[in-house]
Amino acid sequence: MTVAFGQWTLGLDGADLPARELIGGKAWSVARMQALGLDAPPAFVVTTEACRAFLASGDTPPALEAEIDKGVAWLEARTGRAFGRGPRPLLVSVRSGAPVSMPGMMDTVLNLGVNDETEAALAAECGDVAFARNTHKRFLDLYAHIVLRAEAPAFDDGKTPAQWRAAIAQQCGAAPPTAPREQLRAAVRAVFESWNSRRAKRYRQHHGIADDLGTAVTVQAMVFGNLDENSGTGVLFSRNPTTGAREPYGEYLARAQGEDVVSGKFTPLPLSALGERAPLALEALLQAAHKLEQAGRDVQDIEFTVERGKLYLLQSRAAKLSPHAAAPIAVALAREGLIDAREAVLRVTPEQARLVLSPHIREEALQSASLLASGEGASPGVGIGLVVGDSDEAERRARLGEAVILARPTTSPEDLHGMIAARAVVTETGGATSHAAAVGRALGLPCVVGCGKGALAALAGRTVTVDGRTGKIYDGALAIEAPDEREHQAFAQLVQWAAQMSPLRVIPPSAPEAAQAVDLTTNEDAADPEKIAAVLAALKGAKGARGGAVASEEGVRAAIRAGLAFIVADPVLPPLLAAARGATKA
Amino acid sequence: MNDLHLVMHGLAIKKHGSAEDVAGVMGLEVETVRETLTKLVAAKRAVEAQGRYLLSPAARMLLDADYGRFYEDLRASPAFQAGYAGFERLNNTLKQLITDWQTIPVRGERTPNDHSDEDYDANIIDRLGDLHERAEEVLNKLASALPRMAIYREKLQRALEKAEQGAIAWVSDAKIESYHTVWFELHEDLLRLMRRERSE
Repeated sequence: MTVAFGQWTLGLDGADLPARELIGGKAWSVARMQALGLDAPPAFVVTTEACRAFLASGDTPPALEAEIDKGVAWLEARTGRAFGRGPRPLLVSVRSGAPVSMPGMMDTVLNLGVNDETEAALAAECGDVAFARNTHKRFLDLYAHIVLRAEAPAFDDGKTPAQWRAAIAQQCGAAPPTAPREQLRAAVRAVFESWNSRRAKRYRQHHGIADDLGTAVTVQAMVFGNLDENSGTGVLFSRNPTTGAREPYGEYLARAQGEDVVSGKFTPLPLSALGERAPLALEALLQAAHKLEQAGRDVQDIEFTVERGKLYLLQSRAAKLSPHAAAPIAVALAREGLIDAREAVLRVTPEQARLVLSPHIREEALQSASLLASGEGASPGVGIGLVVGDSDEAERRARLGEAVILARPTTSPEDLHGMIAARAVVTETGGATSHAAAVGRALGLPCVVGCGKGALAALAGRTVTVDGRTGKIYDGALAIEAPDEREHQAFAQLVQWAAQMSPLRVIPPSAPEAAQAVDLTTNEDAADPEKIAAVLAALKGAKGARGGAVASEEGVRAAIRAGLAFIVADPVLPPLLAAARGATKA
Repeated sequence: MNDLHLVMHGLAIKKHGSAEDVAGVMGLEVETVRETLTKLVAAKRAVEAQGRYLLSPAARMLLDADYGRFYEDLRASPAFQAGYAGFERLNNTLKQLITDWQTIPVRGERTPNDHSDEDYDANIIDRLGDLHERAEEVLNKLASALPRMAIYREKLQRALEKAEQGAIAWVSDAKIESYHTVWFELHEDLLRLMRRERSE
């Protein structure tokens, strides 16, 4: 049985799995990992019942503080550390955890328990003064932002934590407490209060979620990946998320904390680096990945930390897959029996299939191509056309039927009409988050950004080929080709499975029946996804249709509603996946 | 500020805009904007095509000179300066957020977000709500020095609420007044008033 510290607080020890309604989503996933026999950092949870009592009375229940004391003592015993004291200080993370996730709830506060004294103890323990200072700074920043809900002042690295606290007090109206237990009390209260934040209320109202469910608070021991050579942190995918190959793929940083991996400041090593230093931890990790994949019936993305050779799992969730990996993985999971064929079809979106099957520059053409400029690929796809440096001109030429590439130093809202008219957009300055990149992606346009100051002016008037994935701009109109879905094993299988689910048939132009389809190629309205439904509804007695936007997701929905027996498309998989999805939702 | 200037300024932000678009972003009566636009067209300061307007090159030069003349006090105002500095700080957060909305990181490589993962999307809309609360403070500062800035607060709020209610096009769709569209129009507005160049 899970350890109860009284009426409101539970220690998670993996003995059983308390209800999600009681402990919230975050603690539930920790408890679930423990139930699979895996090690997560020790945690206790203040239940949603405590929050409900808080909401009813406007104050924390009287017995709660004493229960939290017991919870902290329990964490101290399990970690061999002391909360707020050296020589081995215990720091914790505090998270909100509603039974259903919703916006506006309090974010995670990390490193809670740090103050001048514990910072010094931490510095001595891991032999890294800068890390201890950074841990302290991060806590103060999070506390100001999340608990005090105010814009934290920019921290000057030359200042001491005491000066930071004073700056926060001045700007946010209150200073973060130095006593760890006070920090914890305030954070728990902030979680409860976030239940009634404006955004959370608005969300519950819109989604019909009861206002009195309440949120739990998860208090979890922080583990440190930077204590010695046998410590580190990393990420493991249970299969390769780029290629879809059935082999674990991971990255590891020895002597590092979680943020170091994400920050990109350090180059992570392959998993073998973990095997050399802590072979037992690697073995435990690979076993955990297999267990989690079986239990989750999907590829897992696992964050982990190794503390003095011992593995801790911080988080596991279904992995994001590249479009190229989605189909092979879905088919493999179905063949292994983890999911059925129907589920495999639903795991691959029409958009993913369309991306993989979209035309790319032919390999032979690429070899002899002359590179004119290159930057950062910000939105994938290939665009071919005449380079134009002005948005008005781009629009004018496009209206006359010319294919144009818009090349600008940067783009601003004034360039929107030129971007809409272009086959691709390229800029001289700006990165993947720039205006051009954001709008390019929103429009589904190939886009290359940051080619360098002055790199594009000379290109005006030339015909070029832009590859928005690789960020390269080539001279001339290069030959392009689209992959053949029939030669792709996973796609061929998905075509077959999806066809069994789809209420209408999708046939290639080469099929004999295709000739009987009504051809919408010259119908202007049919090219507009917003108007295709009206066009199809007006077709009387037609069995099938081709051309226009009929293969788009809107087109497929409309074709089903109009009672068509088939549509003609090349490739067939994207509309077929859309049709299969539509059938399961109806 | 006279209506003539505001209409020209509005047209610089809403290029190819209709009278309604300009009225909406500048907080003017549609009738006033329509009359002013007619005058601008008659004076060859703007051209009209199918109810949409564009400033002539000469009008753009005049407008640029206006910024130097009309907003000296505003640029010197501590409230507006603080608001503008706050906006630029948040702008980096917003840009990263929109990138995260449009693309999903897979092993460091970003792939287009096809919005099939509701949890992923919900998390970003949550972050957008968080950013909006901070943007409100910034806009309040700006509006205390220039009242029409409050229009952006309302437009951003409207886009956010639609996104929160599941109409996800309102996050970054370029063809509607999505959060991103309004945010960049606001940025353009501020850059013009402050006479700054866009860095990217």
